[in-house]
Amino acid sequence: MVKVTLRKDGVTRRTLLGSLATAGAAAVAMPWTVRQPWAASPIRFGVISPLTGAWTVYGKAHFSGFELAVDEINKAGGVLGRPVEIVVGDSKTEPRIVVEQANRLVRQERVDFLAGTFSSAERNAAGPVVQQTGKLLLYPTWYEGQSQEFYPGVCNKNIFMFGPEPSQQVWPFIDYITKNHGKKFFLIGSDYAWPRETNKMFKEKFAELGGQVVGEVYIPFNTPQYDSVLRDIKNAGTEVIFHSLTGSDTVNFRRQLHAAGMSKDITLWTVDDEEVVTSGLGPEVSAGTYVSFDYFMTIDQPNNKAFLERFFAKYGKDALMNTVGVGMYNAAHMGAMAIAKAGSTDTNKVREALKGLTFDGAPQGPVTMRAEDNQAVVPSYLMRVRPGWTSVTDMFEQIQALPSVQPKPAACKSLPL
Amino acid sequence: MLASILSVVADAVLITLVLALAASGLAVIFGLIGVINLGHGAMLTLGAYLMWWMTSHGVPFVPAVLLAATGVGLVGLLLEHVLIRHFYDEPFETLLLTWGFFLVATEVIKLVFGTDFRNVPNPLPATISLAGLELPAYRSLVGLISLLVLLVLAGVLFRTGVGIKVRALVQNREVASLLGLNVGLVYKQVFVAGAFLAGLAGALISPMLSIDPYIGNVFLVRSFFAVTVGGLGQILAGTLVGSFVVGGSETIFALVSSQVFAQTVVFALAIVLLRFRPTGLIGLRR
Repeated sequence: MVKVTLRKDGVTRRTLLGSLATAGAAAVAMPWTVRQPWAASPIRFGVISPLTGAWTVYGKAHFSGFELAVDEINKAGGVLGRPVEIVVGDSKTEPRIVVEQANRLVRQERVDFLAGTFSSAERNAAGPVVQQTGKLLLYPTWYEGQSQEFYPGVCNKNIFMFGPEPSQQVWPFIDYITKNHGKKFFLIGSDYAWPRETNKMFKEKFAELGGQVVGEVYIPFNTPQYDSVLRDIKNAGTEVIFHSLTGSDTVNFRRQLHAAGMSKDITLWTVDDEEVVTSGLGPEVSAGTYVSFDYFMTIDQPNNKAFLERFFAKYGKDALMNTVGVGMYNAAHMGAMAIAKAGSTDTNKVREALKGLTFDGAPQGPVTMRAEDNQAVVPSYLMRVRPGWTSVTDMFEQIQALPSVQPKPAACKSLPL
Repeated sequence: MLASILSVVADAVLITLVLALAASGLAVIFGLIGVINLGHGAMLTLGAYLMWWMTSHGVPFVPAVLLAATGVGLVGLLLEHVLIRHFYDEPFETLLLTWGFFLVATEVIKLVFGTDFRNVPNPLPATISLAGLELPAYRSLVGLISLLVLLVLAGVLFRTGVGIKVRALVQNREVASLLGLNVGLVYKQVFVAGAFLAGLAGALISPMLSIDPYIGNVFLVRSFFAVTVGGLGQILAGTLVGSFVVGGSETIFALVSSQVFAQTVVFALAIVLLRFRPTGLIGLRR
């Protein structure tokens, strides 16, 4: 039977009449069917992915990670005996659209929680929406860490962070890089919150270890030519470039750095360029550079091997996975686990169930959601790009691996969140 | 000290020339026949993608560049023949049409070539040493080609019969047609030449940049500024001066300020210049 529910909010005469007409028609059409009310109602996960716009290149892995997890959940019988359904919204890589999509998914599509958004700007745009509507947002991307200044995009009890922050992604490896490649660092990043905050965190630890920052520049989006920056880098006597440019700017800068003949003398350490970007750079430009993240396709982990087999089976052998895709994968699984544990999709119960939850099946190795500040405790890897790599399977060489890195406590006004 | 002055000059020259190459197609289409070609970015992008597609299928570098440029020229021919030729009197309509072309072309590029980052291998990865400076070889070559392209364009415009026809059209279309000039044909030739140049620029710039569906947009706004600041119709001097103001001067401002500030100052300067010389720095006062 078609169920007609009267909601306190927003039932107009037109929708009510429409529903009644549909119900009537359905009743005439199939008078003998009686459907169990719970069997037909799937649990709805809302996903916001950058499927078009500037960050489309990350959007594919972002969405397919989540989709793969939901497939697995449904194959295993769903959650609480109910199937899981994805409702997707395209962020178009614009914070403004994120607000529209988040509102649409929560208010019209009535999803049970939200996962996704990509950049920090997108997450910050979704913050007020999840705050007002009382839904959870599971955020997959590596980011700048939580500080009260950016509330409600961070330090928000409804937002859970599945990606690493600088004290996990950057701090553990400063020692190795400075010992092997020198202490004169030049910081270059795109001009927005993530690179600036990441560099702030970086410098905090870097100063303790006796490093010297010889230059720090922020580049506006879509800058095609880097000659003057390259000159500054050279003149400053740089030994290591700490790199947090994003999107096509990262590729443009690094190609020009290489073409200027500087990549043989100066080491580059990037906290942005995962599988997708490194593929775009090609082997010649990327050879010998360092990358740090919580996940790489090449890490030697039993979970990862099985995960990639399922991934390739679904999306083809040339598909690319990365830290964000795995963040989304973990978010879907841990969201489902929390609902199962809570026995309900009620936000308050799911939030409590998610705190402190551990997911042993995570591709990068076990991941735990820290209860006090909603920040995932994840592994962390430092990799070096192999010269002459031919595909993602031989792209990175593992330099250091830490099975589980506790992030520094979030700089929020009150903890626990 | 001398070395650092030299290196600033070299940077400024390279940036100016690369931008001038990217803007040359627009200087022809917008500067000569007044079509506000917002599809210029998409033409650059298409040139870069064709270049990528051919080099990844084993076509050698030089033929690939020429084929990519020809391909974009053909797309330009189609666009002109189907749409643009009916609207030469109405600049605003050409603006909308070419913007529509940009949107459609970008989506088609995404469908055909996908949205992953692509790259064209750099054919000259070495650097050249010149008076104590190390210059990227390929970039310098592109700078030279840019200069050559502009010289050839100026030569065609001022030293050949075709050039006389184009200039007649630009100066006074009605009189030119009364004197027996096939106006429609000249428009078509100029538009296709502009598209060809945009494709050439996209193909030549592709080894320096990441190729994504929006690669051309990086140059779209800068190209418009370069062409208008330099002066409409001033193919050689105008494009070079405009490109210097919009691109090359940035490296000088960046010496004393941050990159963000330098870019802001440059665009502000371009606006101020247009306020006081609306026809451009080299443009004639009309």
